[in-house]
Amino acid sequence: MELADRAVGFLLSLISISTFTYYTFWVIILPFVDSDHFVHQYFLPQEYAILVPVFAGVALLCFLCVFVGFVMLKSKKKKA
Amino acid sequence: MKHIVKIMVLLVAISACWIGLLQTSIIPRSHTWLLPIYLIISLGCYGLLMVGVGLMNFPTCPQEALLLHQDIDEAKEFLKRRGVDVGSD
Repeated sequence: MELADRAVGFLLSLISISTFTYYTFWVIILPFVDSDHFVHQYFLPQEYAILVPVFAGVALLCFLCVFVGFVMLKSKKKKA
Repeated sequence: MKHIVKIMVLLVAISACWIGLLQTSIIPRSHTWLLPIYLIISLGCYGLLMVGVGLMNFPTCPQEALLLHQDIDEAKEFLKRRGVDVGSD
């Protein structure tokens, strides 16, 4: 149990650090690199830097709303 | 109450900086528009990192748990001898 928690924590830290590094590279550093540099192969075009987070945020918000509604329905049924 | 004032001041300062950048257009506009999203993303990453680190270093004290169980057993024994119903198990 403890080991699984530790593994999940490690995974979360790894995901957050890698996302932060990749996004920083994408948004902050890439505009200063020449557009014919080979690094540009590993990144999507600049407009996806807005689209992907917005879609992720909307999906997260929808998931949260569905979850809250589900929990409210369940608690109401238990009370009745 | 003071914490929220601090956070609000920080937010206002950041947005003032951002509007200044937007007005003076030192860097191209398309990049200035990306900065708030970058801020939100970095905030989310920070939150996730803090949760991950907290999970990794979650303090557990097995010896204390053992002592607590001993105490509970002792108390149950004591109460049972005095005729107090403490339930099964």
